[in-house]
Amino acid sequence: MKELIKRLVETYGPSGSEDQIRKAILEEVRPYVDEARVDPLGNLIAVKHAAKGNGGKKIMLAGHMDEIGVMVTHIDEKGFLRFGGIGGISPQILLGERVVFADGTVGIVGVERLDDPKDLRFDKLFIDIGAKDKAQAEKAVGIGWSAGYYRTFDDLGDRLVSKAMDDRIGCAVMIQAAKELKKTPNEVYFVFTVQEEVGLRGARTSAFAVDPDIGIAIDVTRTGDTPKGLPMAVELGGGAAIKVKDSSLVAHPKVKDLMAEVARTDKIPYQFEVLEAGGTDAGAIHLTKAGVPSGTISIPTRYIHTPSEVVDYGDVQACVRLLKGIVGRPIGL
Amino acid sequence: MGENVIRVCPGTVRVDGPGQWGRLAEEGPDTALDTAERLETKSFLKALSEGSGVSGYEGPIGAMVAEAFRPFVDEVRFDKLGNCIGLRRGEKPKDGPPVKVMLAGHMDEIGLIVTKVEERGFLRFTDVGGVDQRTLPAQEVVVHGRKDLPGVIGVKPPHLVSPDEAAKALKKEDLYIDLGLTGAEAKKLVNVGDLITLRRDFTELKNGLVAGKAFDDRAGVAVIYEALLQLEKLHHTADVYAVATVQEETGLRGAITSAYGVVPDLGVAIDVSFGDQPGVPEHQTAPLDKGPGVAVGGNIHPKVYEALTRIAGEQGISLQIEASPGATGTDAWAMQVSRAGVPTGLIGIPLRSMHTSVETLAMGDIKKAGRLLALFIASVDRAFVEGLRW
Repeated sequence: MKELIKRLVETYGPSGSEDQIRKAILEEVRPYVDEARVDPLGNLIAVKHAAKGNGGKKIMLAGHMDEIGVMVTHIDEKGFLRFGGIGGISPQILLGERVVFADGTVGIVGVERLDDPKDLRFDKLFIDIGAKDKAQAEKAVGIGWSAGYYRTFDDLGDRLVSKAMDDRIGCAVMIQAAKELKKTPNEVYFVFTVQEEVGLRGARTSAFAVDPDIGIAIDVTRTGDTPKGLPMAVELGGGAAIKVKDSSLVAHPKVKDLMAEVARTDKIPYQFEVLEAGGTDAGAIHLTKAGVPSGTISIPTRYIHTPSEVVDYGDVQACVRLLKGIVGRPIGL
Repeated sequence: MGENVIRVCPGTVRVDGPGQWGRLAEEGPDTALDTAERLETKSFLKALSEGSGVSGYEGPIGAMVAEAFRPFVDEVRFDKLGNCIGLRRGEKPKDGPPVKVMLAGHMDEIGLIVTKVEERGFLRFTDVGGVDQRTLPAQEVVVHGRKDLPGVIGVKPPHLVSPDEAAKALKKEDLYIDLGLTGAEAKKLVNVGDLITLRRDFTELKNGLVAGKAFDDRAGVAVIYEALLQLEKLHHTADVYAVATVQEETGLRGAITSAYGVVPDLGVAIDVSFGDQPGVPEHQTAPLDKGPGVAVGGNIHPKVYEALTRIAGEQGISLQIEASPGATGTDAWAMQVSRAGVPTGLIGIPLRSMHTSVETLAMGDIKKAGRLLALFIASVDRAFVEGLRW
């Protein structure tokens, strides 16, 4: 599974520019599903049909393909690019980073001279793509072009690190579950959504079209186990996290209980998660049409929205087993 | 009432004397249950207030609401998110299908949720929906673990507080819940993610005022109940969808899905607004027991507002005007943009000490709001709905 994770996290795909990552995911998931299509906003919807054709639930799983990034807003006379953020990216973390555009062009994030580090804002930063002047820069990139962090995957043994674990690790969990799930009594929609980082937008439209009985997002969550971090009960290596609440969702009590019951039955390590800030695609799914009972399986992740997001391989595998355990059984809600 | 605020401008409603509303005066025979069998509105509010139903976990309150609505509606159902929807059918209209009026009062309450069970058995928590953390120290709570457990929110003795600390308001991170359990016992009975409600008896103050928790917005549910009682005595052709919504405090979520499911021709939300109290500017509040507030502003269809105020004037129901220039932070905000749009009205019950466990209101305002709502519903017909088109 590590090869799959490496491929997904290293692929380019800021919100709104998901073509390359969608193509990669389609290749990976296609052998394990009965059909796959792309909706008008670019969501990839892959379906595994119920083995017996009826009686099961229509379950929508959502993992988002997009990653945070930056977008070029201006090119100056000397060929430096000014930019804005896509999703929750911070100027402090961008400083000194390299970013990469869809065509492979690499840029360095530089900063104006600051009297006080507190003055660091997006408007003090620029991207240097090595151009000598405006004309040369304009030949390489254009206004409105998007870039993501330029970082590789590293296997630290039990722990894995990369950019874009948020939420390619969720996508990887879904693909792996599709692969291992031989038969299911349910109609399972594996939806790889777009534009989650800019407002859960892909989940909103795909859920409207899929019209599921149950919604489950698979996404990352914070941990409270780093030195002097914000207190939170979730820890790396503590197993799959079952969400109780975040800013976008109060998990449906029955969906939450179902997840915990499957975890206990299948002896999968799990922990409950209360996230004080942040949301997932389940926030959009559960408000679709007349309402969809929804929950979230979270992969505990350190340093979210930095170029070095860290997950525990054991947790990842626990999430795969949990997801498989849920969608592979008949569900009575 | 959610995060956004309603600004209130004190105003008076011009009373034009009894109008031409023959239908309204023509009250039908009292076919309602004997008064003795009816749950009195105040008792209903007491039961709701002392019940438990934090946003997302409204089950017990929903059951209570369904039972109370049942004698006055043709059917009651729960939707997938737990909204309780009672349908009271009107008399068959002569001009086609009945108009659908949706009433929304949210039954969820703000509360707390366990974030950590500590080694010594103390619980750490955060809030759900906007509890005022300044009001938490020394409160009694119920922790909904494997079973309901009584607890108290502990505070450091003042003798041991440094002068620096004493000057600062306590934050929820500084507080903990004591269940009297050892660490091992607590871990057996309580999980991260278990819900917590504040514990507070419903108290009757003087002059018809009452105090308690969760009046925001079980007062709105009580208004809907009062309206259903009043409708027993009126003729109406509109079908009334009495909806006790869920998860308003976490983002108007129940109203979003219930309005989609009901597909109303018009909607009226009933929520609380800021009552007058010391330390709060007069122009942002409304006095208690001077009648419910009727909101006007971008969230409100002008003709729904006009009808509500006109009927109040004709029937001698005192009310107050609430000017709401932007988002009202109520279910009306969600209902208005459901599907292709829903003309919306908003009634507010003036409430002191909002989002605390000693919310205070006047029962008289609830009665008046219920009567106004019932009279408004009785006045609604196909022609009125057609007239709402721009």
